[in-house]
Amino acid sequence: MIQFLIYLLTIISIWGILALSLNIQYGITGLVNLGHIAFFMIGGYVSTVLVILLGWPIGLAMAGGTVAAGLYGIVLALPTSGLQQDYWAICTLAAAEIVRMFFLNTTFGDPYTGGSFGVSDIPQPLHDVFSGAAYPYFYLVLSAVCLLACWALAEWITSTPYGRLLKALREGDEVPLALGKQVRSARIRAMGVGGALAGLAGALFVHFNAFVSPNYFLPIETFLVWAMVIVGGGGSHRGVLVGTVVIQTVFTSSRFLKGVLPVDPSTLGPARMILIAVLVISVLIFLPDGVVPERKRLYSPVRRGGGT
Amino acid sequence: MLQIVFDSLTRAAELSLMAVGLTMVYSLLRFPNFAHVESATIGAYAALFFSTTLGLAFLPAAVLAILLTAVLGVVFDKLVFGHLRDRSDIILMIASFALGIGIRQVFLLFWGPRPHFFSVGWGSALSIGGAHITPVQIGVIVTAVVCMLLFHLLLNRTRMGIAMRASADNSVLAEASGIRTERIVTAVWLLGSGMAGVAGVLLALDTQIQPNMGVAVIIPVFGAAIMGRIGNPYGAMAGALIFGFAENFGLGINWAPLLQTVGLTSADFAFIPAGYKEAVPFAVLIVVLIWRPQGLFGRVTR
Repeated sequence: MIQFLIYLLTIISIWGILALSLNIQYGITGLVNLGHIAFFMIGGYVSTVLVILLGWPIGLAMAGGTVAAGLYGIVLALPTSGLQQDYWAICTLAAAEIVRMFFLNTTFGDPYTGGSFGVSDIPQPLHDVFSGAAYPYFYLVLSAVCLLACWALAEWITSTPYGRLLKALREGDEVPLALGKQVRSARIRAMGVGGALAGLAGALFVHFNAFVSPNYFLPIETFLVWAMVIVGGGGSHRGVLVGTVVIQTVFTSSRFLKGVLPVDPSTLGPARMILIAVLVISVLIFLPDGVVPERKRLYSPVRRGGGT
Repeated sequence: MLQIVFDSLTRAAELSLMAVGLTMVYSLLRFPNFAHVESATIGAYAALFFSTTLGLAFLPAAVLAILLTAVLGVVFDKLVFGHLRDRSDIILMIASFALGIGIRQVFLLFWGPRPHFFSVGWGSALSIGGAHITPVQIGVIVTAVVCMLLFHLLLNRTRMGIAMRASADNSVLAEASGIRTERIVTAVWLLGSGMAGVAGVLLALDTQIQPNMGVAVIIPVFGAAIMGRIGNPYGAMAGALIFGFAENFGLGINWAPLLQTVGLTSADFAFIPAGYKEAVPFAVLIVVLIWRPQGLFGRVTR
């Protein structure tokens, strides 16, 4: 039970970072990125390759994965930043599948590493220092610290003038354009920052899992991240973290329920996804702002006549 | 070469049936319905259910399945999209993404991930000029052509079709001229989902039935609709042809002469690796979106 709880909290921390990164792109900036899992995949794979093939220290490799995912965001956004959001969504979906096919068809070093075989025995950070039983606790602390740092970063970005520009973009290009803002460059930077955070989450995930394969990065995983943002409330960083807890608990607990309920695991898998899909659609219809709505802020308070 | 043409035509026939419905819904309700391709999956599984589980003959089972798919299109509209009419296209898009995932998981739940097959026993492949074409492939192409012709007649010769085109063009103006838009919306869902259901049955005959069969073609279907300009069913048909051929030709062509001229390779043979087969339409779509987002046949309207 306690192991399961530690596992669940670690996964929630990692996916919390992922949900925050999508929130910067969608919740704050209004970019409908349906290929978000590609950033997670690139962060994870680049970190793995840097450690296994090039022998980089794990910390540096994770930073490399983070930067690579950010760069992917910038490269993807450079030609597409002028598209309407519906076309943007289709573009990102297609790009993510191309990235997945690349890793599905590419082997690293010998023919049985990478590709559809995946990469196993990925080294874990500080594995020698923390002995067997203590290691999950260490990784939970590591992930949680990363999550808190990312949360602080996301809140800070949102509070800067750049963050306010992103929020203005969400409501349409006209006003920022009229004020002489560089809308395309602002979008490209949002993709870069959001992508980098997702890359960090991916690097944390592969070193936690010690195994990576393209099958972890199907479009359905992108949907899970979206479910967290929608249920929690797009635009609210606290909200998406609540959403992460809800969705990841529903998703992961089927492992735990396997022993408790007399249900076949092959029934439980699809059933939990149907439950999540119904939850997302219900929230969209009945709670448009999510469970924890974004707080409306007035940046320059309006003075009412007759008052102070 | 002829083989590639046969395969491409079959593919284009299946894609066009889905792309036409998608483009109609897209232009009428102004959002890309990511759940549209799931109607094909529904059609295929419904036909499987009626023929295998209930023991009907193939043709009545297929007709029943297509009718059911058409009605379910309206049901999903009433359950999900109808409640979101006044919201932004982004919300509708996300709702359709969620709906698509949910539908796919229902099939996974009841039929499992293993593929199923129809065995109609329509005889063996014919040989034409050294290329093989199966009776199923001929059936696929003929059915699609007949559906497209009927759809063309409906659009141009009936009041319903003309009202449909008017609403797709400008729904506010259409409503002001006395067209009841909600009825048109229902008709478009019936038609669009029904045609996707036909595509699903054809896909099932041609390949196999599995939960991912719809989502596997989502990119070429969207690509065909966008390439032909959203709201233009004839453009979507042309787009489906282009994507059908691009997929098969992209793999069947020796790119070496082209690459040699550019100076990229000195090898005599350069084929796109088979593992990247599915990446071809994705790449074509991204290029189209960046190069001509208004579609190949559209006019620039800015």
